[in-house]
Amino acid sequence: MLLSAVVFLPMLFALIVALWPNQRTLRPLALGFALIEFALSLGIFYYFDPSSSALQLVERYPWIERFGITYFFGIDGISLWLVILTTFLTPVALLGAWKSIEERVRGFLACVFILEAAMLGTFLAMDAVFFYLFWELSLVPMYFMIGIWGGARRIYATVKFFIFTMVGSVLMLVAIIYMMFLTAEAFGTMSASLLDFYRLDIPFISGQFLSPQTLMFSAFALAFAIKVPVFPLHTWLPDAHVEAPTPGSVILAGVMLKMGTYGFMRWVMPVFPEATVHYAWFFMLIGVIGIIYGALVAMVQPDIKKLVAYSSVSHMGYILIGLFALNEFGVTGGLYQMLNHGISTGALFLLVGMIYERTHSREISRYGGLAGVLPFFTIAFFIVTLSSIAVPMTNGFIGEFLILLGAFQANSVWGYFAVSGVVLGAVYMLWMFKRVFFGPQGELVKDEHHPLHDLSVREMFVLAPMIVLVFWMGLYPSFFLNYSKASLDHFVKNQAHYELAIQSGKEVAQ
Amino acid sequence: MTTTIGLGDLFSISPMIALFLASLIPITVKVLRGNVEQPPFATLIQGLGGILAAAILLLTVFVLRGQQLNPTAFANALVLDGVTVSVGLMTLLVSAGALLLMYDNPATRGNQFSELIFLALSSITGMLILVSAVDLLVVFIGLETMSLSLYMMIAISHEQKLSKEAALKYFILGGFASALFLYGVAFIFGTVGSTYLPQVIASTGALISSSRLFLFGITMVILGFCFKVSIAPFHAWTPDVYQGSPTPHTAFMATAVKAVSFAAFLRIIASNALVGSENLFDFMQWLAVITMIVGNVAAILQNNFKRMLAYSSIAHSGYLLVGVITTGVSDDMSFGASSVIFYLVAYSLMTLGAFAIVSLMERDENHSISIDSLAGYARKRPLMALCLTVLMLSMAGVPPTLGFFGKFYLFTSAIGEGLLWLAIWAVLNSVISVYYYLRPIVVMYMKEGEAMDAGGMFATRTAILVSSFFIVFLGLISGPLFEVIERTLS
Repeated sequence: MLLSAVVFLPMLFALIVALWPNQRTLRPLALGFALIEFALSLGIFYYFDPSSSALQLVERYPWIERFGITYFFGIDGISLWLVILTTFLTPVALLGAWKSIEERVRGFLACVFILEAAMLGTFLAMDAVFFYLFWELSLVPMYFMIGIWGGARRIYATVKFFIFTMVGSVLMLVAIIYMMFLTAEAFGTMSASLLDFYRLDIPFISGQFLSPQTLMFSAFALAFAIKVPVFPLHTWLPDAHVEAPTPGSVILAGVMLKMGTYGFMRWVMPVFPEATVHYAWFFMLIGVIGIIYGALVAMVQPDIKKLVAYSSVSHMGYILIGLFALNEFGVTGGLYQMLNHGISTGALFLLVGMIYERTHSREISRYGGLAGVLPFFTIAFFIVTLSSIAVPMTNGFIGEFLILLGAFQANSVWGYFAVSGVVLGAVYMLWMFKRVFFGPQGELVKDEHHPLHDLSVREMFVLAPMIVLVFWMGLYPSFFLNYSKASLDHFVKNQAHYELAIQSGKEVAQ
Repeated sequence: MTTTIGLGDLFSISPMIALFLASLIPITVKVLRGNVEQPPFATLIQGLGGILAAAILLLTVFVLRGQQLNPTAFANALVLDGVTVSVGLMTLLVSAGALLLMYDNPATRGNQFSELIFLALSSITGMLILVSAVDLLVVFIGLETMSLSLYMMIAISHEQKLSKEAALKYFILGGFASALFLYGVAFIFGTVGSTYLPQVIASTGALISSSRLFLFGITMVILGFCFKVSIAPFHAWTPDVYQGSPTPHTAFMATAVKAVSFAAFLRIIASNALVGSENLFDFMQWLAVITMIVGNVAAILQNNFKRMLAYSSIAHSGYLLVGVITTGVSDDMSFGASSVIFYLVAYSLMTLGAFAIVSLMERDENHSISIDSLAGYARKRPLMALCLTVLMLSMAGVPPTLGFFGKFYLFTSAIGEGLLWLAIWAVLNSVISVYYYLRPIVVMYMKEGEAMDAGGMFATRTAILVSSFFIVFLGLISGPLFEVIERTLS
């Protein structure tokens, strides 16, 4: 029951928030709800067995029996931290957006909760059709968040976001249906369960694109690659990020992009093992291109938010390389970097949102010398910047280090190119930092009519947990990795014949 | 040939009789009152009563049929099987919705409302004949009863200009389609020696490859239906007629008429003609692809909301044709057919709801609604805007709405029959469709404006709420619903 509660409680919250009569108590109420949800998701740790690689806390009921579609939730070391990341970032984003959303608050909060439910469902669903449902459902609230509360070009951005994602996912739907018929052929009864997909032996002919495994691999990979987003399918991302309101950006960068990389880990690599190995070079290549291209484009952005958006393209390239290195370091680093990116980029978007609330401008050239005016803000920004460029002791370092280790182990060529991203990352972040915080005071900073105020108590409360996590994850990664280790080991060792067992027993207590 | 008509036959057609009798009530009352309209509400109740009686009788007949050996009536002219009851009930439901719209809409309400309800119920009687017909000539009778009433319904509208044009266009092209159909029937009769469908089906296997005349005949019959359900390139009448007709009638045409036409189409395609003739099979597949593309691409360019929905309904015909083709080539007919019928349920509900919103916004009989005029509607009427959002997302096939499951079952049956490339065309088209289905939502929620509906119109609001509720609720229990449909078919 626990996982169902975790997924569907936000839906209930969304309904309550949408019908709540009192405008004034709305925000505290929503924050309270989000914290309840976070606390509930922490309850998973109580039942979770870190030593097992099996699927845990499983809930499985027949849903559409005619096609073997089941209501199927389960969690393992791969999805555990992503679930926690989602429930953690939601209250943070809500608190961070306390003031940035002024109108139609009710609708906005309802969207946030529906989005949270959809993302959690995506991470926990273990049935293909059930997964697809949540995957697509997550589009709708984000579409509204960007379209209603976004910036000037919001409509263009939101429609682009919706259609890009939809193109990939409908082909995935066809592939899912085709796989269901394959299970019917192989096992006698039709099934949409991921565990049955793992057991399938889909014919693969090396070098031939029209072999079933390659085709379905491509369909799934396309859907996830658009979501990640991988170069050259990334163009929706800068638009969506720049136009989205701050909490939208935080959730989009923090969690939604991980739906793509998670999809690769859960739905592509173990299901299509031969195709994954065969085409790994291609994903390494576009990963590397993404890293360098994202960094170079970020370097020349005049807009802070756009810079952070392109830095996401670069960081997501790392994650892709880590995953397709197909060894223990790479995959572990990839998963860890998903969490890091959620924390550091989420925090960056929050910080950009905070300064935007004060000055209503994101143009780097209009800032300068902020350090003297806003010391606390500067410190926070600096720590997050360090995390983003992966300085040792911060979380980013662990992730990038593991990924690079994995990349060198897989094929050192990729390693050489990927390493250049570390330097480039430092270049664009520090250069931006220099121009915004040091030097002569910019026009916005010395504007006497609008004196700038340093971080409020609320904003400190928003940033504090993020900064704590930056160091916690940077100094003591084994706390986090221990929960995922068994699953990741299993994932790497059995790449050719991955199967996921269902753990029974412990969850009966609830 | 002698024909005996027993009480059993009359019992079998009792839903049609009930509808026919109910249709007479409003005009009789009007005559007795000295050609003075009774209150429209009374007329509406009489119409809805007739539909309800027909629905109950249809169910009763279907349930009792289980104990009876012969499900056919009138010397094998009519049959009461799963298609009849499932499509029949759905048709009655959406027709009731369309009647609610007619009650409220300024173009249809007024001094000829009794006649309108009479015509509508006659049209529904024709639909019930059409879904239960297993003889090609009876199919024709059903088709004409349905269509002739419809031409008149459109023509007596209070709308000044477009509806007259629409009625005439619909009449001429409808007549053309009927002529094609009859021409084909003549060839089939000439080669098979019968118009009884099971007999036609039995001889299809042998005749389709050997007799060109038979192939010509069956192709003509299929093309006649393609006209009726607006398959491109025979779709040209649809946008004009849908736009010009009063909105309630458009809703009626786009839902009930299309649903029963597709049901009859299913019966004819079940003849396995597609298996026998490779060319016909290819031809139909191309029709489906062209229809989807034409409908979706043209819909993007529309500014008039009704016209956009008209093109979208053409696109939906394309998806449905994929299902019809699947049914035509599969050995296990019931799977493909039930996916088509399920999609028809989804399609009818969402189309009815969408046209109901258009109807709600029309302030007078000559009012035309552009998509841009929806700006700001979400602030004024949050509930109605939410309903329209649900309906549009369902049409675009976004889960977990009924529209998604409709597409899912349709594509599943197509892929199951190996029509993978057709399914890929269909899903890519549904992405194109997302663009224009999002437009009303964008305009309603994200643009400032003074959109307002006419107010009041509780019957129409009920129809919108009920259809939106069904879209979400039936989406969640789509599995059992699909199984029920499939069980009634087999």
